Amino acid sequence: MSCTKEHMPVIVMGALLLIYGLIVQTGVLLPTMKYLHTHKAMDLQVTLSLIFGGLALVGTIINMVREPGDTTLDRFFLQPLGGIILIMIMAMAIRWYLEPLVKIMSKSLQPLLGFKIYKVMNLNYVVLGILAGVVITNTWGIPKFAAPGVKCARFILKMGVIMLGARYSFAELAKLGVYSVWLIGFFVLGTVFLVLWLGKIFKQPKSMTGVLSAGMGVCGVSATVAVAPVVKAKSAEMAYTIGTILSFGIICMFVFPTIGHMAGMNPVQFGAWAGTGILNSAQVAAAALAFDAVDIKTLKVAEIFNITRVLFLPVIVLVLATWFGKQSGQKLSFKSVVIDKFPIFILGFLILFGMSSAGLFSPPSHYKGKYIDVSYNDRTQVTTEEWETLDGALAAGDFSSLDPAQLAAVTNLVEQRQIAGNYDERNDKKLFDSVGRGRMAQLEGVLAAAKAKTISLSSDVKSAIKHAVKQVHKKSKTVVTLTDFMIWFFAFGLIGLGMQITKKSITQAGGWPIVMGVIAGITKATLSFFVVLWLVKDVVLN
Amino acid sequence: MTDEENKVTIETGDTGKGTSEMAEPANTEELEERALSVFSSERNEDLTALVLCLITTFMVLLFTKWLV
Repeated sequence: MSCTKEHMPVIVMGALLLIYGLIVQTGVLLPTMKYLHTHKAMDLQVTLSLIFGGLALVGTIINMVREPGDTTLDRFFLQPLGGIILIMIMAMAIRWYLEPLVKIMSKSLQPLLGFKIYKVMNLNYVVLGILAGVVITNTWGIPKFAAPGVKCARFILKMGVIMLGARYSFAELAKLGVYSVWLIGFFVLGTVFLVLWLGKIFKQPKSMTGVLSAGMGVCGVSATVAVAPVVKAKSAEMAYTIGTILSFGIICMFVFPTIGHMAGMNPVQFGAWAGTGILNSAQVAAAALAFDAVDIKTLKVAEIFNITRVLFLPVIVLVLATWFGKQSGQKLSFKSVVIDKFPIFILGFLILFGMSSAGLFSPPSHYKGKYIDVSYNDRTQVTTEEWETLDGALAAGDFSSLDPAQLAAVTNLVEQRQIAGNYDERNDKKLFDSVGRGRMAQLEGVLAAAKAKTISLSSDVKSAIKHAVKQVHKKSKTVVTLTDFMIWFFAFGLIGLGMQITKKSITQAGGWPIVMGVIAGITKATLSFFVVLWLVKDVVLN
Repeated sequence: MTDEENKVTIETGDTGKGTSEMAEPANTEELEERALSVFSSERNEDLTALVLCLITTFMVLLFTKWLV
């Protein structure tokens, strides 16, 4: 009985998910979803609800009949199941209900405030998820059944980073890699030496400045733990340092995106700045997604910088060991830092990148999973209403100001109801394709001319042509699905990150570490801001 | 002073394996053990993340490419 009581929250959550999935399936919620603009994700809502509802019930039954063990299945599925389901429900509720509601409310408040509050405060699903996590953990606390699941957040965030590897091209990785090594190398070593110098100015012990310099320079808590034995840090110094790093990182996570938007940074610049200036891997991902949760360009740049920073850890340990006059410890040698601390998830990232580059997810001729398909296909046709609009406009002579090639492309679109080559030439694929692409280019020219106001077209006609052009721009289903998985891994991981931001971890900051940490952190953030604005241009990814 | 009074509680978040109590004076061996333990748990975590990602990728390929 007590066993059933213990598992009751997970059973209830699982049942609720299944019921929700079935309700969505019936279409009863469609009007609400249309109001919230989430109807396009209706199928995904059904799939996720049924999968996670089913997993919750099956996992609970296994937990009830089986003795708890210490296998991988126990550690990564059965024990954290309650937390995983709870965070998943939160992620779904935030993504499909809270975020759209916040957008609608902030739009309705715009006349009163003069600005859209969700844009100024970056209130997208990432920020809302983190805030929800912070509120829950610091008010009601994390429920007992969910505690092991919340600890999975960082590991799932790493899965997101690994999956992100599938979205880079060789050129991007090479260009960003070179930028990141120079910038990160300069700022990591610069911060380490700045903190060591500040320690000398403020006459602080070497152990404290050593541990703080690694934390502020490389990757936060992980670096602090790795360097502590090298510089013989006292426990209180570690606590102060970790508190300082976490507090500084949390402030950066919320402030960076707003500053980035105010300064008019482009996604590449912001990604580079966040990856350089923020200390913690999860906080870098959070800031990048808070800046732009729709396009993953910012996240891609930020993660390359973050990975480079993580790889700098052994270099810093070596620098600090030399500075402290200690070659190696009894158990922790430099070799063990390089080998044991090597972030294996980066190998995963490279494996996914390799698979993507080998054309496993989409043919090499495609660009990042995107391609143009002008072959005959019912799904590529414009709608009946759009066809009638175009046919009417053509008959009324609305396209008389177009040049002959553009007019021919529009006429052909009306004849074939889609952008395609000539029907008679359909067996010569090369010719068919090139004629179709040529027509697409002419129609894009019509849209550009309309935008530049050199020709005048009604909005319905522009919309119909735009739709026809959009229809032949396809995306690889594999790449789209992998990206969806990645986004959900990040959403899940970041809600869990919010749940780990406790008052206790922040308020332990204090002493000289907070003074020196704030000076070093602000200096690094400010300097990297200007260097990134000066050096990193959007062309890096083009 | 007892040993218990000389302990310092450190809240490291999940990265550093959560809350832990450590002796106040520097104890290199204890710090080394802690660092190695953190490294080891990170390695397990990374490996599991890698394996699960590969499984996910395989399933995605199966249902969006190979079986379609």
